[in-house]
Amino acid sequence: MPDDANLLAALRERSPEAFRELFELYSDRLYRLALGLLRDENEAEDVVQDAFLRLFEKLDGFEGRSRLGTWLYRIVHNLSLDRLRAKRPLADLPDEDDALPLPVSFVDWSQIPEKQLTEAELARYLDQAIAALPEKLRAMFILSEVEGLPAKECAQILEISVSAAKVRLHRARLLLREQLSQAFAESTISRE
Amino acid sequence: MTCEELLQYLSDYIDNELDEDLTAEARAHLATCHNCKVVLDTTRKTIFLYRERGKRAISAERRQELFDKLQTSFLGKASE
Ligand SMILES: [Zn+2]
Repeated sequence: MPDDANLLAALRERSPEAFRELFELYSDRLYRLALGLLRDENEAEDVVQDAFLRLFEKLDGFEGRSRLGTWLYRIVHNLSLDRLRAKRPLADLPDEDDALPLPVSFVDWSQIPEKQLTEAELARYLDQAIAALPEKLRAMFILSEVEGLPAKECAQILEISVSAAKVRLHRARLLLREQLSQAFAESTISRE
Repeated sequence: MTCEELLQYLSDYIDNELDEDLTAEARAHLATCHNCKVVLDTTRKTIFLYRERGKRAISAERRQELFDKLQTSFLGKASE
């Protein structure tokens, strides 16, 4: 990520270029996290907008203890979870040191998808599998795998320890693998 | 290394965060355990698929709307 101090200083001077840079840097990233959690384009856009507006209000008092991006992601994460909680309770996560769920499917589909599925089918499977994850695991998976952030930064965004973040990522990967295994196994069986 | 231990270390193995000894033990296990090899390969593939295809963006039109709205409030709150 870019040098925050310069960008922050320019934002405080209300530089239009700085706003454009901020928007270009973060709007789509923040949108992906919000959309992944909320699964609704309108709500995701609202949350991204609210996060930027909060930053503008706080610009002068922003201490730079966390990076701009980390701060924005954290606001988007919290606003998204607030919206979800308003509808229903969030899924509880197992404790960090609870046993991992054992793999159930041992079908090797690692060579399958591109050859046997259309783009639309593949996209639908990926979407359904990630939708089935508990929200907190989904957030960690998106930040780490889709956005490519290091575990330490994910932990700061989610306000958990680095070890807890790594456990969430591990569980998310295993659950997604299981979901996709079942989806791909069914799709190849039904084609034979 | 047992299958349960390999499962425990799987993410660290994929991320190259295991120390040398454990990496060697994991490799030895994977060379002889078909099921764990499948779990490794399909987990890697899972990660790859989301990395490759997970990058959705706001639609161009909605993005411009959002940009305009935010720019207005950024540049001058008086314009409301
Ligand atoms: Zn094994």
